[in-house]
Amino acid sequence: MAGISLDKIEALAPDQASLVAARKLVRPGGWSGLSSGDAALIWGECQGSGSSPYRVIVSESDAGYKCTCPSRKFPCKHSLALMWMRAEGKVAFQSASAPEWVQDWLRRRRTGAGADSDKEDAPKPKSLASAVADKPEEIDPKSEARATAARERARREREDAILAGLDDLDTWLLDQADAGLAGFAGHAGKSCRSIAQRLVDAKAPGLATRLDALPNRIYGLPESARPMAAVEQLGQLHLLAEAYRRQESLSPELRADVRREVGWTQSRDALLTEEATLTVSGTWRVVGTVSEVQPDKLRRFETWLWREELADGPQTAVLLDFIPVAAGQTRGAFRTGERMQAALVFYPSTRPLRALIKEMMSPAQDCGIEVGLPDVDLLKAYEEYELALAAIPWLNNWPMGFSNARIRRSGERLFICSADSDAVALPLMANQTDATSPLTAVDSFSGFALWDGYACRLCMAQTWFGRWVGE
Amino acid sequence: MNANDLRSRVLPVLLCGARREAGEELLVLGSSRERSVLNALSLAGQSLRFERPAVPSGFAVERWPRDERRIVPDSLRRPILRLLDRSTDDTARSLALAFESRKFRPHPFDLPMLDGFVRRYADHLGVTAQFWVQRAIPAEQVRGYFEADELAAENWTEGSLRLRVKFLRELRKQDPEGARRLLEQSWPGENPDNRVQLLSTLQAGLSHEDKPFVESIQKDRAPRVRAIAHRLLAALSSSTGDNPALAACVERIQRSKTGLLKKRNVLRLELPANVKKHETNRWIQEQFTDVTLEQVEGAYEMSRRELVEAAEKDNNLLFALALLASRENRFDLLDAITDEAPDTWGRMSELGWEEDLEKDREELDARAAALIKPRKWLPAVPFPAWSWLHRQNGGPLPADIMRDILASTTWTEQLEAEKKGGSELVQVICALCPPELRGLIRTQLDALEADRKDKGRMLLDILDELESLV
Repeated sequence: MAGISLDKIEALAPDQASLVAARKLVRPGGWSGLSSGDAALIWGECQGSGSSPYRVIVSESDAGYKCTCPSRKFPCKHSLALMWMRAEGKVAFQSASAPEWVQDWLRRRRTGAGADSDKEDAPKPKSLASAVADKPEEIDPKSEARATAARERARREREDAILAGLDDLDTWLLDQADAGLAGFAGHAGKSCRSIAQRLVDAKAPGLATRLDALPNRIYGLPESARPMAAVEQLGQLHLLAEAYRRQESLSPELRADVRREVGWTQSRDALLTEEATLTVSGTWRVVGTVSEVQPDKLRRFETWLWREELADGPQTAVLLDFIPVAAGQTRGAFRTGERMQAALVFYPSTRPLRALIKEMMSPAQDCGIEVGLPDVDLLKAYEEYELALAAIPWLNNWPMGFSNARIRRSGERLFICSADSDAVALPLMANQTDATSPLTAVDSFSGFALWDGYACRLCMAQTWFGRWVGE
Repeated sequence: MNANDLRSRVLPVLLCGARREAGEELLVLGSSRERSVLNALSLAGQSLRFERPAVPSGFAVERWPRDERRIVPDSLRRPILRLLDRSTDDTARSLALAFESRKFRPHPFDLPMLDGFVRRYADHLGVTAQFWVQRAIPAEQVRGYFEADELAAENWTEGSLRLRVKFLRELRKQDPEGARRLLEQSWPGENPDNRVQLLSTLQAGLSHEDKPFVESIQKDRAPRVRAIAHRLLAALSSSTGDNPALAACVERIQRSKTGLLKKRNVLRLELPANVKKHETNRWIQEQFTDVTLEQVEGAYEMSRRELVEAAEKDNNLLFALALLASRENRFDLLDAITDEAPDTWGRMSELGWEEDLEKDREELDARAAALIKPRKWLPAVPFPAWSWLHRQNGGPLPADIMRDILASTTWTEQLEAEKKGGSELVQVICALCPPELRGLIRTQLDALEADRKDKGRMLLDILDELESLV
């Protein structure tokens, strides 16, 4: 099997118990209809404890999966077992066309595999009968006009609500500045929660999330740095509010950045179908993964990609996925080091980073070859960050690929520094201290990190000991 | 207004509170006081964001030791992490011993994830692991980082206790006097645990040259050191001496005669009435701590064999004699005792008994052969007894014993399909299994459910791969 190896299954499994449970299902006797189809799909039905068998689908290209069982582990043992049988190659999968329930899942996924499937569906043989049968539904112009008007009215109402919310935000910011920001950290939790709630009511969820995350961000810093961080963070909020009010005067890309930060979203469908969006094809390497629980009880999976080809367009991209914490999934579908051929479509931005997979030409597979990170030192990478910050002043995480760096210790903290200069020293996140300690033994490495203005999250380091991965 | 102005004039106002402190400088930033304050906030925030993080004035110099050991191959890294995730200590110990014997070390990047394992078995895992364990302790408390074979007379005090004992024991075999002199020099600075372990090495090659030193420590503050010194002196003088501990034991051993035609001696150990059943083993151990076999022989004027024959009807006295025989490396006697009392091993394990005196591989194998006789009868001991055995034996059992264990009913009953239970027993049996029997045990494990056998099989696979690497 090209896409999924036993190592990958092991990495995907939420815990050891799932692997053990899956192993018990790795026997064809408990399965029916084990099949493989186009678009690198495999599926089958597994008789579980319920009256009807569970339907399990796995996409080999990107390790996507779906099972109808009620397990709260992701992937469940049935999905793992199906992958396992495929990876071992001891069980025969019959070639078949995807049944309706598989196609339904594909349609809803809308990823590379799904796109392939859609494409296959598209060119059908011409025939008069089918042309008659395929006659599109007639659209009632009046109801369409009513729907458009309703959408426009809702949009205007939301714009008004957001503007009112931004006024409230300004008032709140003024109150904080009047009271003095030296003591803001002391009451940040309660204070931010109340204004975040107001912004949720004002339909500005992006700002609300930013405010909800703000206390933790400040508390994560040394006490002496908290007042300054409060000034920085609250200052950015006012800047965003002002930018939103003046969005008509901004470039389309920056305007898109501002609206996204405030909480406007662009649907995947809209992004994938829009012609003007930036699409970049190439060989992408996974250089970092982040899994974090947000204050809104969603787990955010970030997959950071690095394009191996040096060509025009973004070199870095991030795929974002959100899963409810209650779902229990703690790891995303990709692993650091994997390589894939894919076309990514980027959300519009002055510094395009966030992307979707439009089409995956080859599945993500583990790759031991070093990632070709840029031959620039940490200082140069930091200067790139400063340029990005000038373009997007409310920037949060910025990716940095660099070479010739090392980890050094000062007191309790570790810093990423250039191997041969002290021009810049970026503190590592406190929760990475233990994991990165072994890197102090390495004189020089190339790596990929995320810098949030206060601390660095090292995602990957390539050393003479091999690859270090911060997962 | 530039960045410096913002920092020196505006920032203090924002930090202290614009309401009280607002000055003229803020009013130029907006059309009203409110706009001015908010604009000042944005500008000051932006200005701060462009400040580069301060470079610390100094960095610690971390000197990782040079480690000659091979790093474990990449293909084994993930299996080892999986194996050690919620495995038993026997599995971890077995792996550590394999690392030591094959001169491997964990991958440096895995040290944080293997922290518990590395802390527990740092001495087995090489100098990098020792450095890792000691990295957080104050410099003045840091010991050196050594492989066992790197210790010499000049640096032997800097190694870990285990390595030092190993070094001294080897030296004692070649140069008994030199080893004792080294011990004498370091003696005043040793803590009680070290003194117990280091003194035990004198048992090998004990001679009258050692007597002055051993006599000088008869009044050591640690009772265990005094007990060892006493035993060593007894071995040197071949006399019972005036030992109050022996008198206390003799007081508790009733002597009688039995038989019609031929009178035989019978010895019985009378336990005090207030010793409850579950305290029996502990009481016996404490009662006989300061006594030697030779002293008991002398007290009853019987040979060791006669002692065992006289005590054959009394399991408690046999157990006491077994403790003495094991401690004094009298494995022939231990063998005779376990013929009469095959559950001696289980009783020792219940006690969590640890030998004071270090034993070498040959002695350990001989003791295992004397203690465990699966061909005759293998008691249905619980998992902790097997675990104790692995800990005491410091590695796999001799193949002939293990082969009998694998054929014993006690073990084969565990392999029955309907048998439920955890994987602990399987793990320790795999840990005790010598390389030549791994194929056999793998075949036996086939019948077990995956969750019972997985860890054991993983251990066997990893050990096989480690041992196959040249």
